[in-house]
Amino acid sequence: MDFDVPEELLLLKRTVREFVEGRLQPIEKQVEDDDKIPDAILKEMGALGFFGLPFPEEYGGVGAGDLGYCVALEEFGRTSAAFSNLIGAHTAIGSMSIYLGGTEAQKKQYLPDLTAGKKIAAFSLTEPSSGSDAASIQTSAKKQGDRWILNGTKIWVTNGPIADVVVVYAANDRTLGARGGITAFIVEKGYTGFRVGKVDDKMGLRGSYTGELVFEDCEVPEENVLGGTVGSGFRTALGALDIGRISLAAGAVGSSQHLLELAIAHSKRRVQFGKPIAVNQAIQWMLADSAVEIHAARLMVYDAAAKMDRGTRASTEAAMVKVFASEMAGRVVDRVMQIHGGMGYMKESPVERAYRDARILRIYEGTSEVQRMIIAEELLKA
Amino acid sequence: MRLLICIKQVPDSTTRVKVAPDGTSIVTDGITWSISPYDEYAIELALEQKDNAADTVVSVISVGGPRTKDALRQALAMGCDDATLVTGEGADTLGPLGIANALKSAIDELKPDLVLCGKQASDDDQGFVGPALAEALGWPHVAVVTKVAPSAAGTEIWKEVEGGHEVWKASGAAVLTVQKSEKEPRYPSLPGIMKAKKKEIPERPVTGVEDPVTIEIVKLEPPPARGGGKIFKDGDVKAHAAALATLLRDEAKVL
Repeated sequence: MDFDVPEELLLLKRTVREFVEGRLQPIEKQVEDDDKIPDAILKEMGALGFFGLPFPEEYGGVGAGDLGYCVALEEFGRTSAAFSNLIGAHTAIGSMSIYLGGTEAQKKQYLPDLTAGKKIAAFSLTEPSSGSDAASIQTSAKKQGDRWILNGTKIWVTNGPIADVVVVYAANDRTLGARGGITAFIVEKGYTGFRVGKVDDKMGLRGSYTGELVFEDCEVPEENVLGGTVGSGFRTALGALDIGRISLAAGAVGSSQHLLELAIAHSKRRVQFGKPIAVNQAIQWMLADSAVEIHAARLMVYDAAAKMDRGTRASTEAAMVKVFASEMAGRVVDRVMQIHGGMGYMKESPVERAYRDARILRIYEGTSEVQRMIIAEELLKA
Repeated sequence: MRLLICIKQVPDSTTRVKVAPDGTSIVTDGITWSISPYDEYAIELALEQKDNAADTVVSVISVGGPRTKDALRQALAMGCDDATLVTGEGADTLGPLGIANALKSAIDELKPDLVLCGKQASDDDQGFVGPALAEALGWPHVAVVTKVAPSAAGTEIWKEVEGGHEVWKASGAAVLTVQKSEKEPRYPSLPGIMKAKKKEIPERPVTGVEDPVTIEIVKLEPPPARGGGKIFKDGDVKAHAAALATLLRDEAKVL
C-alpha cells in the first residue's frame, strides 16, 4: 500500500505548482482588487488543459482521472481561491454532470469545448427556498411539444454569471420527490427566457463569480434533457457532488499547506524578546497541530479520489473528507493568522484573504451539517 | 526540418545545494531535478519552429542514468516529438568531452539538420559540451543564439552581441548554443504530460566515448557565510545618508 502521489502524476503536480507560482501568485492581489481573473490567464489555462483534468482524452480531457484532478486542485489551492473555484465549479460539478449523466451525443457535443476551456460550465441546483434540502426544488419543468419550459430562479450559482453552459436541475414532477421528480437540463447562454440576475458580492472568493440565474418560460430543446431520461437528475447531481466535495477538500488541503509554509517562514523570521518566535512552544504546537491535520486530510482526499478512479462508490468518504478538510482549513488559517499577528490581519497579507476564503468551505457544496447527515445515515442504515 | 536538442538534467534552481562529506560532490538526496534552464530555452526555440511549420520534427537527447528519463519526459510533455537516452555504466560520470563524443555517435545516426544546446548548464556553468560537440561533428557552431528562422539558403540565426544582435546564416548542419530570450519556455500542457508518460524512450548505449582531457573536481566548498549587514537605526536621516555614502565609497567601493 502506497499513499504517495503516483509517479505518473508527479510531473502534472509539478507543472501545476510552477504555473501557480509563476503565473497566478504574482496576480493574486490584482484578482482580489479587480474581482476578476484576467482573460489572458483564462485562455492560457485553457490551452494547458486545466479545464479538462479528470475527463478521458476522447472528450478532449487530460485523462488524469479523479486523483490527478485532485492533485492539481491541491496545487491550485496555493493561490487565490478564485482559481480553484472557477475550475472546481466548471469541472467537478458542471462538466461532470454532463460526463456522468449525459448521452454519448451530449458528451460529444459539449465536452470538447468545455475541457478546452473554450466554454465555461456551471451547475445550478440551489434556490432561495431550497438549499440543503435539494428535493424541495421549486424551479419547474413542463413539457410542451418538442421542448421543455423552465420557470424559476436559481441562486448562488458559481460561474453562473460567466457560464456558457449550465446544467440546471428542475422539478418535472413534485409528487415524485427527489428520485424521479428532478430532471437535469443542459441550458446554453442565449436560450430564450434565460438570463443572469443579480451578481453576488461575497465576503471572499473575489475573482470568482457567483450569481442568480433566472428562467422565465425558458425554452429547452427535448434533446437537452440530460441523459435523455426524465427524472434521473438527482442521481447525476449526487454523483457530481461526490467528486466536487473531494476536489474541494483537495483545494482546502493545498491552501492549508501553503498557509502552514507561510507560518513556518514567518515564525523563523519574526524576532520577539531577542529570538525567533518559532522557538516558543505555543507557536510550535500550532504548527505541529496544523501539519497533523493537513496530513490526515490529504490522505483522505487521495483515498477517496483513488476509490472513485477504481469505480468504487465513495459518497460517504466524499462527505467525510469534505467535512474534515473544510473544518481543518478553518482551524489552520485561524492558527496561521494568530502566528502572523497583526501582519496577518492586514489586507496586503495573503493570510487575510485566505481567512475570508476559507469560511465558505464549510458551507457550499453541502454544509458541514449535511455532510454529517450523510455519514450518519450510512452508519445507521444496517 | 529535423531539430535535435541536447539537454542536461540538473538540480532545480530552487535547490539548496549542500556539499557532500567527500568534499568533491553535492548531496543529491531529496533534490528536485530539472532540465537546465538554457536547454529549456533551446527547446522553446525549436518548438517555435514546429509551431510555424508542422512538418518540423523536434527530438531531444540526453546522456545520463535512469532518472534522466524524467527530464526527457518533461521535454516530450512540452511538445517534443521523440526522446533518446544515451545511457549505460559510467553515463553519469562522463566528463564534458566524453559527453560530446557520446552525443556525436548518436547524432551520426539520428542525422538532424540542426543541433541545439543550452549555452551552458546551470550546475557547472562550463559551457563546454556544445562547442565540443560541434568540433567532434566537424560542424560549424554559433553561440548565444536567441532566434532562428528558415531562409531560402538555409537557416538564419540571431546571435546576441553587445548592444544588439548579428544575423548569421547556416547553409547546412550546425550546432547552436542557445541564450535566454524574451520568449519564456512554455509550460508542459497537461494532456502533453499524460501522453508523454506513455511514450517509449529508446535507450542507446554509451559508445564512442573518448575523453582525453581528464577533468577532476578537486574540492567543492560552500561560499563563506555572509557577514551581518549594517543597519542605521533612529537618529538623524541626513547623517545616516552621509555615513552610507562614505561606506559605499570607501568600504564597498561601489561609488
